[in-house]
Amino acid sequence: MFTSTTFLSILPETLILILGVILLIVEPFWKVKDPSSGGDEQRRNAGWLTAGGLFAVLVISVLVGRPGDPTSTFGSSIRFDWLGFFFKMLFIFGAGITALLLMDHEKVGRRGEAYMLLLASTIGMCLMASAADLITLYLAIETTSIPLYVLAGFMLTDEHSTEAGFKYLLFGAMTSAIMLYGFSLLYGFTGTTNLYALADAFKSGQLAAPVMFGLIVLIVVGLGFKVSVVPFHFWAPDVYEGAPTPVSGFLSTASKAAGFAVIARLFLVVFHDVAVDWAAVFAILSAVTMTVGNLLALPQKNLKRMLAYSSIAHAGYAMIGIVAVSKLGITSVVFYLLAYIVTNLAAFGIVMTVGRVTGSDEYDAYRGLSRRSPWLALVMLAAFLSLAGMPPFGGFIAKVLVFAAGIQANYIWLVVIGILNSIVGLYYYLNVLKYVYLFRMEKEDEEAHPIAVTRPYAIALVVLVLGIILLGTVFAPWFGFSNAAAMNLF
Amino acid sequence: MTPDLIAFFVLALIAIAAALGMLLGRNVVYSALFLVLNFGTVAVFYILLDAPFIALTQVSVYAGAIMVLFLFVIMLLGTETLPVSKALPWQRPLAFVLALILAGEAGYLLFFRKVTSGTIPQPVQTFGSPQAVGQALFNQYLLPFEVTSVLLLIAMVGAIVLTIKEKGGQGK
Amino acid sequence: MDLALWIEFIIKGFILIFAVLTGFAYLTLYERRALARIQTRIGPNRAGPQGFFQPVADAVKLIFKEELTPAKADKVLFVLAPIMTVVPAMILAAVIPLGTQFTLPFLNRPVTLYVSDINVGVLYLTAIASIAVYGIVLAGWSSNNKYAMLGGLRSSAQMISYELSLGLCFVIAILLGNSMSLLDIVEAQKSVWFVVIQPVGALIFMVTTLAEVNRAPFDMPEAEQELAAGYHSEYSGMKFALFFMAEYEKMIVISMIAATLFFGGFREFWFLQGTVFSVDHFWWLGPIYLLLKVVVLLFLMIWVRATWPRIRYDRLMAFGWKVLLPLSLALVFITALGILLANQFGAIYIWTIPVLSILAGLIAVLLVNMSLRRKVAHA
Repeated sequence: MFTSTTFLSILPETLILILGVILLIVEPFWKVKDPSSGGDEQRRNAGWLTAGGLFAVLVISVLVGRPGDPTSTFGSSIRFDWLGFFFKMLFIFGAGITALLLMDHEKVGRRGEAYMLLLASTIGMCLMASAADLITLYLAIETTSIPLYVLAGFMLTDEHSTEAGFKYLLFGAMTSAIMLYGFSLLYGFTGTTNLYALADAFKSGQLAAPVMFGLIVLIVVGLGFKVSVVPFHFWAPDVYEGAPTPVSGFLSTASKAAGFAVIARLFLVVFHDVAVDWAAVFAILSAVTMTVGNLLALPQKNLKRMLAYSSIAHAGYAMIGIVAVSKLGITSVVFYLLAYIVTNLAAFGIVMTVGRVTGSDEYDAYRGLSRRSPWLALVMLAAFLSLAGMPPFGGFIAKVLVFAAGIQANYIWLVVIGILNSIVGLYYYLNVLKYVYLFRMEKEDEEAHPIAVTRPYAIALVVLVLGIILLGTVFAPWFGFSNAAAMNLF
Repeated sequence: MTPDLIAFFVLALIAIAAALGMLLGRNVVYSALFLVLNFGTVAVFYILLDAPFIALTQVSVYAGAIMVLFLFVIMLLGTETLPVSKALPWQRPLAFVLALILAGEAGYLLFFRKVTSGTIPQPVQTFGSPQAVGQALFNQYLLPFEVTSVLLLIAMVGAIVLTIKEKGGQGK
Repeated sequence: MDLALWIEFIIKGFILIFAVLTGFAYLTLYERRALARIQTRIGPNRAGPQGFFQPVADAVKLIFKEELTPAKADKVLFVLAPIMTVVPAMILAAVIPLGTQFTLPFLNRPVTLYVSDINVGVLYLTAIASIAVYGIVLAGWSSNNKYAMLGGLRSSAQMISYELSLGLCFVIAILLGNSMSLLDIVEAQKSVWFVVIQPVGALIFMVTTLAEVNRAPFDMPEAEQELAAGYHSEYSGMKFALFFMAEYEKMIVISMIAATLFFGGFREFWFLQGTVFSVDHFWWLGPIYLLLKVVVLLFLMIWVRATWPRIRYDRLMAFGWKVLLPLSLALVFITALGILLANQFGAIYIWTIPVLSILAGLIAVLLVNMSLRRKVAHA
C-alpha cells in the first residue's frame, strides 16, 4: 500500500507539519522573561523560521515532489495530480508571505501560536486541493477553517477582532454543517464517498434531478461561504476589517483559492455530467457576486473594507471560469487565482505597512503617501492597477483569460456584466490612488513623515511586486502550469 | 414487523422527541439532557446495526465527555434559562415557509418519485468489531485519521490561545 | 433468541444485582470496622455478633427518615439524580466475568458465569463509567444550593480529568490482552498477571479509580470543610442512601475491574496452576478467587482513606493533567513497544515493559519532587 508515491503525494503537508512541530517545541525557549532585554527581537525568530521553512518546503516540493500521471493514494483519499500540486504551491507561497507580514504585527507577530495556526491552516488547504474523498475533504476544510477562526479573533483585547473571530466562527460552523449534510446525502444516495466513484454514479444518471439539485445547493452553501460568493458573503467585510491585517490578507487569498480548488474538483469531476444543471446557477451567482461586490465597494472609506468587497467581486470574476465548464475555463480560474493571490497579498501588505505606522486603515491615512514613501506608493500603484485589471500587470492577463473562457462557452451576457463591473472596479481602485498621489497631508511636510518599512515587509513586497509584473509580462510559463493543472480534470 | 423494525420505530420516536425537546426547551440544562438522550438513542441504533464499538464510543465520547463539558460550562456561567427570544419579526414566518417547502420536497420525493438510493453493499457480520474498525481506520482511512489528529492538536492550541492570560503585563 | 436464554439473562442479572447490593451493605460495615481498627477503636459491634446486623439497622433507619425536598429545587432532576447515579454503578458489573462456566444439573444446559461477554467489554466499562458523572452534576445543580453546585462542578471536572488516564490504563490492558473482551483479558493472564508486566499501569489505574469514585484522598465533591457535604448536601433519607449506595457499589465494581484487568480476574494464583485448586478443575473457585482479590483491593482503598489527608483541589487537577496523563501516555507507548519487540524477537522481550515503565514512573516521581522543591524554595 505504501510506495514512494504515497509519501510524495502528501510531502508538502508532512513537511509543514514537521515545521509546525519544530516551531511549537522551539518557540518557548525563545521567550525571554524580561521584554526589555531584547526579548521581542528573539521572539520574531518564530516568524523568520515559519517564512523560511515554508519557502524551503516550497523549494523541496517543487524539486522532489512533482506529480506524474494522476494517481490516487491513501485508499483513494488523495488525488496526486498537477491541479492539487499547483494549488498547494500557491498556498504555501501565500502562507510564507503572510508569515512575513505577521512578523511586525504588534499584537500577533510575537506569539508563536499564530504561526502554528497559520501552518495548520495551510496544511488543511493543501489537503483541500488534493482531497479525493468526501471524508478527507470535509476534514481538510475544517482543518483550514478552525485555525482561521482563532487567527481572526486573535487580538482578545480588540473588540473588532473578537467580533470578527466570532462572526467568522458562527457563519463557518453553520455553512459547514449544511455542507456536511449535503455530503451525507451524497453518500446516502450513491453509497460511496470517493469523488471519482461518485462521478461514475452521476454518469449513470441514477439520481433524480430534484435530489441532485438539492444536493448541489447544500454543497454550494458551504463552498460559497469559503469563497464569499454573494448570498454567503455577509461575514467578509466585518471579518476582514476586524481581523489582524495579514490574516485578512490570508483569508481573502489562500483561503478563497482553496475554496475554488475544491469547487473545481468537486464540480468538474463529480458533477461534470450534470453541468447543465448547475452552470446556469453558477452564472447567476457569478453575475450577482461581481455586481454586489463592486457596488458596495464604491462608498467605502476604509481600505480593508473596500478590499473585502473587492475580494467578493473577484470571486465573481473567477467564477466565470467555472461556469464555462471547459479546459480553458479551469486554466483561466487557476491563473486568475494565481494573479489574485499575488496581487491581493501585496495590497494587504501595504495596508499592513501603512496601518502599522499611521494606526488607521481609513482612506484619509493614505493622503500624500506618494511623498511620504514614493516606493511604497509605487508598489501600491502596481497592486491596485493589477486588481483593476490593467496591463502590464498580472490581473490584466487573468481577466482576459476568464472573459475569453466565458465567451468560448457562449456566456456573452455574463462577460458583458463582467466588463462593466471591471469599469466600476477601476473607479474605486483609482479613487484610493487619488488619495495616495493627489491629496496632501494637512499642514504637514510629508517628507518629514516617511513610512518605515521593516525588513520582512520589504522582502514580502518586493517579491510580490516582482510576481505581479512577471505574471503580466512573461505569462507563458504560468499559463503552461495552469493549463497542466486544468488538464487533470478532463 | 420484525422486532428490529419495532425497536427502530420506537427509538426513532424517542430520538425525534428528544431532539424537539432540546430545540424547544427554554432551560438550557434540560436541553443538554435531551441531547444526551438523543445521543443515547443513536447509540442504540448503532447496536441494532451490529456496530457495538461505534455505539459505545458514541456514548463515552459524546454523552460521557462532550455533554458533561457542556453542562459544566452552562452551570459555571449560570445561564440556565434563556431570555425570551427577540427574533426578528419576519424570521418566524419565513422559517415556517422554508420548513414547509422542505417537508413538501421530502414528501414529493418519498411518495411520487422513485428515488433509487445507492446500493450499499451488505457488510460482513464482523464489520463493527474492534479489529475491523481498527483495520479500517489504519488502512483505508489512515489519512483522514491522521488529519483528525492535526485538527485536534490545532483546536487545542487555538483554545489555549483564546483563553490564556499572558503573563508579564502587555497580553490581555 | 430463545426463551431459555432470556430467563438465564434475567436470573443472572438479578443474582448479580443482589450480590452487588449485599456487597454494598457489608462493605460499609467492613469499612467502619477496618477504619476503627486502624484508628485503634472498636467500631460498630452491637447489632448482632461483631456488628453483623449493623447494615440492616442502618437501612431501617434510612428508610424511615424524613425526606426533604428544597422548595426551590428542580423537582424532576432532584429525584432523577440519585437514580442516575446508582444505575450505572449497578449495570457496570454486567460484563465482568466471575468465572468460566458450568453445566446446570438436570437441565444439562451450560451456563456461563457472566451476564454477557461482549467483544467491546472494556469500552462498555468506560462508556457506563462516564455516564455516571451526570447523576452527581445534576444532583448538585438541581438542589439549588451553592455548596451542592460547587460540589457537582468539582466532581465533573475531576471525573473528566481522571477519566483520560483511566482510559489509557484500559488501553494498556487491551494491548496486553490483545482483545477488548474482558474474558479474553482474564484468559491472557493465566500465567502472568498484567500487574507484573505493567506495575506502574496498575498503580495509576488504582489511583485514578479512587478519583473516579470520589474516594479519599480525592473526595473533593464532598469536602465538608469547604462545601458542607458537597453535591448531596440537600439530600436525606433514601435519596441520600442511593448516593451512598452508588459510591460503595462503584468501589466494589471498580475493584472487580481492577482485579480483572491487572490481577488475573477469576483465575487462580499462578502457583496453583494445574493443581486441584485451579479454576479449570472446579468452576466454583472462580468467584471465590475474585472475591478474595476484591476484598484485598477494597482494604487498600480503606487503608488509603485512613492514611492520607485530602489533597488540595488545584493540586488534584495538576496531578491529573500534568503527571498522570503524560505518564500513562508514556506507559501505553512503552507497552506497545514491548509487545512489538516481543513479537519480533521472542517472548523474553516482553520484560522490557516493566523495566521501562518503572523507569518512566521514577522519572515522573523525580520531576514532581523537583518541582515541589522549587516551589518550597520560592516560598
